[in-house]
Amino acid sequence: MIRADGLSKNFGAVVAAENVSFSAEDGKVTALLGPNGAGKSTTLRMLCGVLAPSRGDAQIDGISVASDGTAARRQIGALPHNAGLYDRLTARENIAYFGALHGLSKAELGARIDQLAQQLEMAEIIDRRVQGFSQGQKVKTAIARALVHDPKNVLLDEPTNGLDVMATRAVRDIVLQLKAEGRTVLFSSHVMQEVTNLCDHIVIISGGQVRFDGSPEALRQATGMDSLEESFVQISEAATGVAS
Amino acid sequence: MSAFATVFRKELLDNLRDRRTLLSSFSIALLGPLFFVGLMAFMLDTAIGESSEPVSIDVIGAEHAPNLIGYLHTSNVDTNSIDLEDPALAVRSGEHSVILVIPNDYGADLASGEVAQLRIVHDSSAFGSARRGYRAAQSAINAYSRSIGLRRLMVRGVDVNVIDPIDVTSIDTASPGARALTVLATLPYLLLFVVFMGGFYLAIDSTAGERERGSLEPLLTQPVDRGPLVLGKIGASATFALMSLLLFLIAFTLSLPMVPLEKLGVALTMTATKAGSIVVLCLPLLVMAAALLVVVASFAKSYKEAQTYLSIVILIPTLPAIVISFLDIEPGLPIMMIPSVSQALLVSDIISGDPIANSHVAVSMLATTVAAAALCYLATVLYKREAILG
Repeated sequence: MIRADGLSKNFGAVVAAENVSFSAEDGKVTALLGPNGAGKSTTLRMLCGVLAPSRGDAQIDGISVASDGTAARRQIGALPHNAGLYDRLTARENIAYFGALHGLSKAELGARIDQLAQQLEMAEIIDRRVQGFSQGQKVKTAIARALVHDPKNVLLDEPTNGLDVMATRAVRDIVLQLKAEGRTVLFSSHVMQEVTNLCDHIVIISGGQVRFDGSPEALRQATGMDSLEESFVQISEAATGVAS
Repeated sequence: MSAFATVFRKELLDNLRDRRTLLSSFSIALLGPLFFVGLMAFMLDTAIGESSEPVSIDVIGAEHAPNLIGYLHTSNVDTNSIDLEDPALAVRSGEHSVILVIPNDYGADLASGEVAQLRIVHDSSAFGSARRGYRAAQSAINAYSRSIGLRRLMVRGVDVNVIDPIDVTSIDTASPGARALTVLATLPYLLLFVVFMGGFYLAIDSTAGERERGSLEPLLTQPVDRGPLVLGKIGASATFALMSLLLFLIAFTLSLPMVPLEKLGVALTMTATKAGSIVVLCLPLLVMAAALLVVVASFAKSYKEAQTYLSIVILIPTLPAIVISFLDIEPGLPIMMIPSVSQALLVSDIISGDPIANSHVAVSMLATTVAAAALCYLATVLYKREAILG
């Protein structure tokens, strides 16, 4: 369960996020949508406690990020935008590094990584060095790294960015698995079609503000459009004042 | 395992697998002493050769001046009789280095009391044996000419002191090897450089490199204080600096016996005890160097930018040390408070076996530890800023 409460962030005079409030429920997939530069990454960074909000707070399973960031971060598995791996380490070593930072013992780590490798279908590459991995293999490794401590809440910042169709489908399957396991999944995207079949809840951000918060069905009704994409474009443009 | 130990181990493992980091971290440590020892051996060799070894020159027309040739031989100048049309061309082409040309009428001129002509063909831009040959031949001929002149004066009943209104005796107190030993004075600066180069690439890779790869943000979302994260990186960089220092000392210890120091009567030895003292003395410096590199690299946006900054930074610790060696400042307690300078002075004393004051060592280590702690603190502060994400 993730709750954003009036999150605002200024970088100097630039307002990156303003009064962003929404919640992402357990066992549901919440999509954070918005055009490039809308404030999605800034919002996710504030939820992870990497950026301190100028105003507002966020709660992860009821733990305040502002007052107890370390405890809140324990509940999160995050895949930041364009997250990089360590090329000279194997996939297993990459995953184990973050697991050890979460305080997992060596025995726990071994079992958990084997389980993740099974689940994400990466058993063949798990002991290979990351150098030379395909984009899809890298994203799988990065997701496994984010899930190593079995977090209740998973934040994925544009996880399908730069992936081909097969890899995109693999990521989608992972998201559905996570949902089936009862986790809170919050992912950001600017690609509509990957959202359509996947999410239970949509939050649209544009110009740093929340423009819509509800189910895909509600979004279609609110805009009177059949397709989500049309709805998304209408809302985004209305917010930024672009005439269509 | 603590976050510090986790980061420390990961950075070591990661960088030990990087050939580029290994090469740049340790090549100076290994090649530095070899270059150093080679230079010293070469300088010693020339210095010793200059004073005792006979030199050799080529002579055209040696048969016209048997007495002169005999005089040259007693002056330690070997002659080698040759026959050539164009001596200047032969020297220019490098075939011969110094040629003494004795004309046919040399003997007749000398016998009749005329001024006899000799020519020495040489290349003044040449080094080594060619230069020594020229100098030795020149001075031997001057002395020979003078001795003939004096005898002529005596024959005519003139006091020989008439042509010597001023008598200069120069006394050179420098031993032949003193010049070679000045090379030794540069050793502490090489050592400082080796320490900084050791931690150089790991510091860049684990900070600016981590940001460029995009692995910094995932790392910072882990439920770990940033303090231990940064200190783990500094610790790994300091460990690389330590490995570099150890390699340097081992290479130096092994290659020093190749220098023919005994010919100078200089007892310069490198022992395990001396090496151990240097390592202990430099421990705070290793941490300070690593922390300084990490702090500066943290400001850089990219790997390249960090490389540029740090190349300048590693000059800073060696500069004051060099300046002080020129100013010839007495190593007192105030100087011992300057990190890197104090180590340079003390390392030089340790190597040459001079006694060192315990108070100097204590002040040096304490002051450098304080500087290292301050830089470590600064690094953790920098990593707590949001701007660290770039």
